Amino acid sequence: MRTKRIAGTAAVLSGALLLTACGGGGGGGAEAGADGGGTFSVYIGEPENPLIPGNTSETEGGQVVDALWTGLVEYDRETNEAVYTGVAESVESEDQKTWTITLKDGWTFHDGTPVTAQSYADTWNYVANSENAQGNSYFFANVEGYEDLQAEEGGSPAGTEMSGLEVVDDRTLRVTLTDPYAQYPTTLGYTAFFPMPQAFFDNPEGFGEQPIGNGPFKADEAFQEGQGVTLTRYEEFGGDEPAKAAGVEFRVYTEINTAYNDLQAGSLDVVDQIPPDAIASAEDQFGERFKTTPRGDITSLGFPTYDERFADPQVRRAISMAIDRQAITDAIFQGARTPAASFVSPVIDGHREDACDVCELNVEEANRLLDEAGFDKSEPVDLWFNAGAGHEEWMQAVGNQLRENLGVEYQLRGDLQFAEYLPKQDDKGMTGPFRSGWIMDYPVMENMLGPTYSTAALPPAGSNVTFYSNEEFDAKLQEGNGAESIDAAIQAYQEAEDLLVADMPAAPLFFGLVQYAHSENVSDVYVNSFGRVEVEDVVVGSE
Amino acid sequence: MGRYVLRRLLLTVPVLLGASLLIFAMVYALPGDPIRALGGDRPLSEAVQAQLRAEYNLDDPLLIQYLKYLAGLVQGDFGTDFSGRPVLDTILDRLPVTVRLALVAVGFEILIGILAGVLAGLRRGSFFDNLVLVSTTVVVSIPVFVLGFLAQYVFGVRLGWFPIAGITQGWYSYVLPGLVLAALSLAYVARLTRTSLAENLQSDYVRTARAKGLSETTVVGKHALRNSLIPVVTFIGADLGALLGGAIVTESVFNIPGLGRAVYDAVLRQEGAVVVGIVTLFVFFYIFFNLVVDVLYAALDPRIRYE
Amino acid sequence: MNEPRTETLDEPTRGEGEHRESFSDRVDDRAEELASAAAAGDIEQAGLWRDAWRQLRRNPFFIVGAVLFLVFAVMAVAPQVFTSVDPRDCSLARSGDGPQPGAPFGYDIQGCDYYANVVHGARISLAIGFLAVLGTLVIGVVVGALAGYYGGWIDSLLARVTDIFYGLPLILGAIILLSVLPERGVLEVSLALIAFGWMTAMRLVRSNVIGVKQADYVQAARALGARTGRIITKHILPNAMAPVLVYSTIAVGTIIASEATLTFLGVGLQLPEISWGLQINAAQNRLRDAPHLILFPSFFLSLTVLAFILMGDALRDALDPKLRR
Repeated sequence: MRTKRIAGTAAVLSGALLLTACGGGGGGGAEAGADGGGTFSVYIGEPENPLIPGNTSETEGGQVVDALWTGLVEYDRETNEAVYTGVAESVESEDQKTWTITLKDGWTFHDGTPVTAQSYADTWNYVANSENAQGNSYFFANVEGYEDLQAEEGGSPAGTEMSGLEVVDDRTLRVTLTDPYAQYPTTLGYTAFFPMPQAFFDNPEGFGEQPIGNGPFKADEAFQEGQGVTLTRYEEFGGDEPAKAAGVEFRVYTEINTAYNDLQAGSLDVVDQIPPDAIASAEDQFGERFKTTPRGDITSLGFPTYDERFADPQVRRAISMAIDRQAITDAIFQGARTPAASFVSPVIDGHREDACDVCELNVEEANRLLDEAGFDKSEPVDLWFNAGAGHEEWMQAVGNQLRENLGVEYQLRGDLQFAEYLPKQDDKGMTGPFRSGWIMDYPVMENMLGPTYSTAALPPAGSNVTFYSNEEFDAKLQEGNGAESIDAAIQAYQEAEDLLVADMPAAPLFFGLVQYAHSENVSDVYVNSFGRVEVEDVVVGSE
Repeated sequence: MGRYVLRRLLLTVPVLLGASLLIFAMVYALPGDPIRALGGDRPLSEAVQAQLRAEYNLDDPLLIQYLKYLAGLVQGDFGTDFSGRPVLDTILDRLPVTVRLALVAVGFEILIGILAGVLAGLRRGSFFDNLVLVSTTVVVSIPVFVLGFLAQYVFGVRLGWFPIAGITQGWYSYVLPGLVLAALSLAYVARLTRTSLAENLQSDYVRTARAKGLSETTVVGKHALRNSLIPVVTFIGADLGALLGGAIVTESVFNIPGLGRAVYDAVLRQEGAVVVGIVTLFVFFYIFFNLVVDVLYAALDPRIRYE
Repeated sequence: MNEPRTETLDEPTRGEGEHRESFSDRVDDRAEELASAAAAGDIEQAGLWRDAWRQLRRNPFFIVGAVLFLVFAVMAVAPQVFTSVDPRDCSLARSGDGPQPGAPFGYDIQGCDYYANVVHGARISLAIGFLAVLGTLVIGVVVGALAGYYGGWIDSLLARVTDIFYGLPLILGAIILLSVLPERGVLEVSLALIAFGWMTAMRLVRSNVIGVKQADYVQAARALGARTGRIITKHILPNAMAPVLVYSTIAVGTIIASEATLTFLGVGLQLPEISWGLQINAAQNRLRDAPHLILFPSFFLSLTVLAFILMGDALRDALDPKLRR
């Protein structure tokens, strides 16, 4: 039998990708060009779906889609607040429920047709309609009339247009939500909201291979599966300034080690991920060209709150206190993660560094709580995670710490592939703590709390796999969503987070970092907190 | 011989049909829910999941699914993966890449493996024989991943003799990966050749040939070696089939878009049409190359007759 | 491989020296058949083994191989002989540290003593390697002998089944097989490796049987009315086994290594179980900054393979009269 062994790292990636939204990937191969800018190359993994924004929810395809499209809003590098450098001139509401989106003039698709309010309405209706089976459909679930576009078992949807979308004129779109949502404008920078041209609706077939977007780069050639694509600068770009480089090549790799070797040899320009064993040497080797930025994600140890053994919040808080997060981030992740003491990523406005009072190692207190709760230490604890995604090492480290600090034996249960693991998780099948990961869709506190801990997000509809359900928590989220100001919203969200800390349905463990490096051929490389290379800013050639 | 070959080829059709049903059933038997897995930690909306299940006939019983697949096949439709990409496109894109890599690897096996085996077998116990022994054991124990990584780092990054990854430089791109891919089989080929040759050199007909005063070259080349090659040919034949089945690790390390990685991913995603399409092709390769090997037996050993 | 021999049926019996010996266990069974003297065969077999043993004892290669094998066997049965350190005593503070006084192999990623881990890994690795190769051999020899000897539709059927098994990706079969089995231990993992690894052995045996069955001594035995089972086991197999034995001695190593592959796919052993395969698998992520992690288990695996190859070669030489010097 031919050995079929794959580097863990590659799998870590693909596993992590499935997390959901956003992401990174990037890399390129630089050719100095005389045409003002030259072309550079960026590493990506294989995209899972055709390059259609409504169907791209993972990081690799997301990287290419982000280069081809520009959203209604964009995010500030420092604060991650929504800034109006995209297609929208303004997004306003009196009651946080009915929103008026006003578009700027002069934005066109790569085929020359204008970007209008109708483009958005058509695209959003298409993506929302369940018959089109678009992965990002649920992002429109808060728009009035979304339900009409969802087919009943075996039937067809009642309608094809959401009643909450109203095209007022070419440059004005009115959106009515089912419930008030103060931070709605901030969500609009996400991939799912990108517009598609009439050409797509005329012929959706094949569009995803050579998409037509409205962004800084355009596709002159089709995406080659397993290899990648080279995009060129779109000269009629509607934004403030066109891309700096003449082109960008997204080169598909299955193995990050290979991409890193290519980078070292100078045949690839940007790698937005460093193999774990190269992190220590990368700084020496790349100096200024090796950088680290925070990424908007969190890894937690979820608890099966439905399991009698883990039903008591004190047990869950005790286990959280038995984990030395710093030791794991140093030894296992080589500093590619930071210890988490909050449910909300540090890149999001409203994050508090020490929101969690039981996220520091405290062996004595942990044992005291555990004994008080009458936890049976003689029985081993099962630790669950999905197979082949590189979670073994840190999970084993967690297990070793539980044994050492609490005297509880552990058994790793990392033998199920996603296809089997996820349904089991949805079906309350976890017999012990499990890996739980989340990448933010947009930098809003609610996005780190609601989708994973609210009652509305219980499986099978959502991702609340700990099956935590607390009316008070739900009410606080509602309060934040309907708040009049962002400050008031954050206040309410933080109170909701405090409830989570008290109940500990999951123990926050680590926040992600993007570590990236680039060749000498390029400068001004920046990877944002979505883990995406901001390709339009990259400059090719020495300055 | 002609009739034998023809009969074998005709037999291929029912075998492939049976194989495809078996593979289809195996994908069907894979535990779990592929559509739930598509969304990852964040499930797709229920209506979208239902739509996808309907599109890929996943709610049908096994036989109905298979018949629908066959019905499509008759019209030249090999089905699609879950992202809507036709399986035929995937195969046509990746097959030439896999074939090239396999040919280069088998070339190395034949060239280096047989040569090392012959030299070792001619002088059993010599320094060279022991060198082959030691290198064999080392190669077997080094995981392909490590071997590939080291080769890539030394010859690609450090020395710059070969491209590091990708297939942009034509056949030259396949040299290093082909060598790495062949490494494990090289060990088998070398040892099989060595043992087989050593055994044949002691046999009576070789003694007879020597006694008749034939030159050593003739004895070894024409008599002993020819007879020694049957197990080697058997192994290489089977191995060529295996190589055409793709090499996930080598393909990954050298970033070669071949069939191995595609079928691996498809199995994990439980994309029935992709798995059945590609794996049935693999089975065909084995059948074909084993036919070639069986014909070669007859050429190598006149006593073997097929009718 | 046994080519157009010039000998006639009678020649061997009239031959001399090694030739007589060489064919005694093949063709002289004729006498045994005729006389129905089962005991005679046993005596001859015993003589053969005794000769072989006498030869092996003098073969330095065999001795080196046997000593290596014994060392690993003891390591597998009683790892405490080699180390008194608890392989599960870990501390992340020393994660990935290299060899140093007190820790000859350094520490692994979890900060456990690596020497103790590698020593304790011998048990599972050897057990899987041994079981899986044994199973592979049994299935390969039985199926290969049947296909090669009978030919015709039996051969077609068995050979095509083999082709299908060849085509099936290991991962597909292993996931299904191991998701059906309730446990996930050494036996189950070996079973998966056997189920998708017997085909090459089968083809090697089949091809040799096809060659050998045309040999004169087999024809002779058949002409003399020997039972088919006896012809296969006594006359054909002993002369068709050499390639598959060579293959097996190497396969022990590849199988031990591929155990880790199954783990990676989520269908193998689960940590915190200890085996060389798991160690090699984990080490791959740390080639650049902790190369000792790949070095030591690979080295132990190399020595194991070496032991099997040395012993296998010597044994084969000793049992094959043609090669006696």
